[in-house]
Amino acid sequence: MADVARRLSIGFPRMHKEVGERRDFLPPLLARLVARGAEIRVEKGIGSGMGYTDEDYLALGDHVRLVSQAEAFAQDIVVVLRCPDETELDLVRPGTALISMLHFPTRPERVARLRHQRVEAVAIDQIVDDDGHRLVEESHAVAWNGIEAAFDALAVTYPAMTQGDRPPVRVTIMGAGSIGRHAAEAATKYGNQERAAELLRAGVPGVEVVTIGRNLTSDARYLHERLCLTDVLVDTTERSDPSTPLIPNDWIELLPEHAVICDCVVDPYQLDTDPPTVRGIEGIPQGDLDSYVFAVDDPAWDTTVPSGIPHDHRRTVVSCYSWPGVHPEPCMELYGAQLTPLLETLIERGGVDALRLDGSFHERALARACLRHWHEPAGR
Amino acid sequence: MGPMKVGLPRMHKETGERRDFLPPFVAALCRDGATEVVLERDYGRSMDMEPAAYLELDPRVRFADHREVFDQDVVVVLRCPSEEAVAWMRPGALLVSMLHFPTRPSRIQMLDAAGVNALSLDSVRDDTGRRLVENLAAVGWNGVEAAFKEYAKIHPTFAHPSRRPLRVTCLGSGAVGGYAAHAATRYGDPQLRADMVAKNVPGVEVTVVDFDLTWHEDYMLTRLEQTDILIDATSRIDPSRPVIPNPWVAALPEEAVILDLSSDPYLPEADPPLVKGIEGVPHGDLDRWVFTPEDPAWDQQPDAVDTTHRRTALSCYAWPGIHPSTCMQVYGEQIEPFMTLVLSMPVAEWDERHGTHDVRAAARGELSRWRM
Repeated sequence: MADVARRLSIGFPRMHKEVGERRDFLPPLLARLVARGAEIRVEKGIGSGMGYTDEDYLALGDHVRLVSQAEAFAQDIVVVLRCPDETELDLVRPGTALISMLHFPTRPERVARLRHQRVEAVAIDQIVDDDGHRLVEESHAVAWNGIEAAFDALAVTYPAMTQGDRPPVRVTIMGAGSIGRHAAEAATKYGNQERAAELLRAGVPGVEVVTIGRNLTSDARYLHERLCLTDVLVDTTERSDPSTPLIPNDWIELLPEHAVICDCVVDPYQLDTDPPTVRGIEGIPQGDLDSYVFAVDDPAWDTTVPSGIPHDHRRTVVSCYSWPGVHPEPCMELYGAQLTPLLETLIERGGVDALRLDGSFHERALARACLRHWHEPAGR
Repeated sequence: MGPMKVGLPRMHKETGERRDFLPPFVAALCRDGATEVVLERDYGRSMDMEPAAYLELDPRVRFADHREVFDQDVVVVLRCPSEEAVAWMRPGALLVSMLHFPTRPSRIQMLDAAGVNALSLDSVRDDTGRRLVENLAAVGWNGVEAAFKEYAKIHPTFAHPSRRPLRVTCLGSGAVGGYAAHAATRYGDPQLRADMVAKNVPGVEVTVVDFDLTWHEDYMLTRLEQTDILIDATSRIDPSRPVIPNPWVAALPEEAVILDLSSDPYLPEADPPLVKGIEGVPHGDLDRWVFTPEDPAWDQQPDAVDTTHRRTALSCYAWPGIHPSTCMQVYGEQIEPFMTLVLSMPVAEWDERHGTHDVRAAARGELSRWRM
């Protein structure tokens, strides 16, 4: 086992999509992999967005080396959180195992490209246990970071938020799934434990969180009443029909003027598909790590919302394509902890080729997420 | 590793305790190299498993009486066995169970006295401190499902399209509260929810409040007046004080239902005495978890507990156990990697710092290392 493991090299390229993308895998994960016998190649500058230096990585020992982006992609295994772009994919060698958020079911062109290139891809988003629960996910950070940003914005639009004589803040969460559950907890703490403790000490009434599932989000009369009573509206839904918004743009007018809309879903507008995909709350801008707070007069309402989509009715919106990246270090600590047993298993088995669907717990979870075992739904 | 024989005893604390590990878990033990898997007679019978379902897995599987099952190299049982049963174990054997070391010092003494080593499943944690063997989803979903069933019995219009949306108030927004809120938006039963949607019956509004509002009496009394099902999913810092004192229960509509998911006990002998989060609610178990206002159980609470105001209440010490097969499927899958380890590496070699993920996690739950 040890000899096989020593031959395996693992590359960690950086992500360059946005200036605000500061996430990289952290030294503790790499130390675990070195201890299991892997050769690690990291792209120069790794961790710099979070205050780490190249020396922090080199201190892990001789089995960790700094390399160029191209070299980081030219290893037996490549681990990078967000899927590489077209140019970066050109750097991946045939036979390499690419471990990334690849979203096979919704990215048919990507699947075709990886197959054509003979890359043995493992979709991090499809690594699940025997019951289908994801083993690597950040719904906690999506919810907490989004809600924290929403309350930061509310403190601006509603200065009474920190005053003891106000009524409880009212948060309405649409969707009760994984993100919705965390959002409810985060909302009861204003998205920030320190802020919650401070306001509790000051005797300020807390937060009332109302969670509604699909059987009420489809009830227009109920929703109209609810929106009038809402200080923060949170969308965490997974819609069965993404071609119809849950909240048409003119309903936004029902929200109090100071209300904040928190978009934790970040479905894109895709008007060239049939049927077209629209956002759950109609007309709101879509943000990213460079810009995720949009006041009502922000130019993004006109530049990021496609023409033809109503967007006259506005409230302050917080929306980010990658909420976990707002706080990069805790995000990468968690991803590192979740990936550790999987990468250890991969090293122990000597690579993707040896993974068995009837192997150990982590082995079969990895095997199920391999492109070779993924089949497009019938009819595609 | 030398030959390892594994014993799987049944749990006899309550008649309603029907949980046993399922055949896939036993098959995994054989696959991992157990030289014998000894099951207590009638293992799985309460979940309608025939003996053949286990015996046909592998010739190394056999049945034996309760005592002999404990006389093996490794004993795996979800709930902690009695002191008598632990005494039957071989010195040096390993007990794998939910042992709750931090809150059960007498249990550690019992294990020491028997010379038994132990892996406490509730202390098996990953590098971030997250428990790897737990079933909080079942606590939330099973309790909420039971609560809606009782609510439906009390309310003839439960499934009628003309009724207003139902109002659930959930105290506590932690992990159990999160699952409970999710379950409540679906009546605790996805099929029932689909039926209700098909009939255009208005859904469920779930209001979640945490300790930054539960202290606010005026707010809480108003909220309770508007509550059809009240859920206690709190994890209190001070369990000597209820979140809902019994007089507040009077604010609930007469036909409201109370659901206790925290399962905190009354401990009148503790200093200070401990009470449930909703004062007066009886403490249930797998034999009985529904208590109508007339139920004699309300009168059997400790003297200092006020039970004047009553509603139909549900409480169970082990909510996951009311759906035993589903529960044991989850636990089996969670425990399996650690049994692979138990059967492949001597406990003395588990390295909490430099081992693999599973070794590190298991080492955190092993008694001698936990004690350090």
